[in-house]
Amino acid sequence: MGGILPPPDRRGRTLLGIYAGISVVLLLTGDHLPQGGLRAAGAFVFAPLDRAVLVVDRLSAAWRENEALHHRVTELELEVSRLRDAGAENQRLRDSLGLPKYRALNLRPVEVLAMSGEPIPSAATLSAGARQGVKVGDAVVTSEGLVGRVGEVYPTLSRVVLLTDPVAAVACEVESTGVQGILKFSGTPYPRLVLSGVPVADTVRVHQRVITSGLSLRYPRGIPVGTIARLGLDPTGLTHDIEIAPAARLSRLRHAYVVPGPAMPDGVQ
Amino acid sequence: MRALGGLILLAVTALLMRSTALTVLAARGIVLDALAFATVVWALRTGESGGATFGFVLGLAADLDAAHWLGRHALVLALIGYTIGRLSRTLVRDSARTQLVLVFLATLVHEAWAVAFELGGLVGWRYLAVRVLVAGLWTAPAGVLLLTLVRQGSGQPLFADAALGSRQAA
Repeated sequence: MGGILPPPDRRGRTLLGIYAGISVVLLLTGDHLPQGGLRAAGAFVFAPLDRAVLVVDRLSAAWRENEALHHRVTELELEVSRLRDAGAENQRLRDSLGLPKYRALNLRPVEVLAMSGEPIPSAATLSAGARQGVKVGDAVVTSEGLVGRVGEVYPTLSRVVLLTDPVAAVACEVESTGVQGILKFSGTPYPRLVLSGVPVADTVRVHQRVITSGLSLRYPRGIPVGTIARLGLDPTGLTHDIEIAPAARLSRLRHAYVVPGPAMPDGVQ
Repeated sequence: MRALGGLILLAVTALLMRSTALTVLAARGIVLDALAFATVVWALRTGESGGATFGFVLGLAADLDAAHWLGRHALVLALIGYTIGRLSRTLVRDSARTQLVLVFLATLVHEAWAVAFELGGLVGWRYLAVRVLVAGLWTAPAGVLLLTLVRQGSGQPLFADAALGSRQAA
């Protein structure tokens, strides 16, 4: 080893120089390098450890959640009976207008094994992969709303790109008015989700619900995304600056559902 | 061989905690920087070469996990590992006060550098400052407490071997 490495008094400086050089090169070129294989290996190695660590958290939360879920189930049963009537009426009206039928979502339950990214998690590892039928592009939701979409699929695991990933974008609409916009993560002036591209002429209000748009190529229509938390004016003065509070608790995910995405048109990935 | 085993164990533990338990705590406002803490511990124990190597390896693993800006954590953690390792020659490493200051400073530097990538320029400086300070204020006392517990559990100074090693090297 002594022949390869420099003398002890200069070894630290030399190693630091090498590491700093590699890091800078990676910073400049890393996004163009294929990293999926390495991440797959990492996910495979860490998955059993993640499961072991999460057992404690899952057990402590299970009792509390069970109690809350019983209450919620009762509430939802009452609501479902009311919605069933409304649904039948809606179907009759859609039939009379010649509109297409709604497509029911096919939910595949998965466990969230690990989260990554800071200051807010931007990706998560799911306990299902290609063998369970998960595909790149599938939407991931919780009972509260949209979480993101599957970005990488490994044999038994997959990686979901959360709404808080800087490169994620979702076509959305304001539920009550149909105003269209693109949901993106913004780091300025602090990390937040914004609905961009909404002209100032469109009327939007705080607390209105935002759902996935029918114009989205990747997500089924009507999945809750969040609510409008704050309204402002974009620096250009042409569009609203709309801050969205996500419906799903993106930093505290335990379980989620994979929803097969709509079939992509040719050439779209 | 024993050092390599310790390096891998500490790195895996830090990465594992970061992607599981610490994420849950961070959602409640308790930001603990496991990467900076682990790098400081390893640098105090092994000196600048070991500190820089550990920081680089740990950072690279964290970068791969984050999917964006490969090299971001590796660069700053290698620098932190080298600096702490270098400083450790002249410090009383088993002093809780020394550990508190070093972990606090390392957390500030690491968080400021890593989080700055997520923010679009200086507009987000206020969020960055709060986040960095909160991380430092949580990580430093928690880290020192953990080191104290480990020291008391093992019944011997954690950094005695390193102190001897660096004297021999000098």
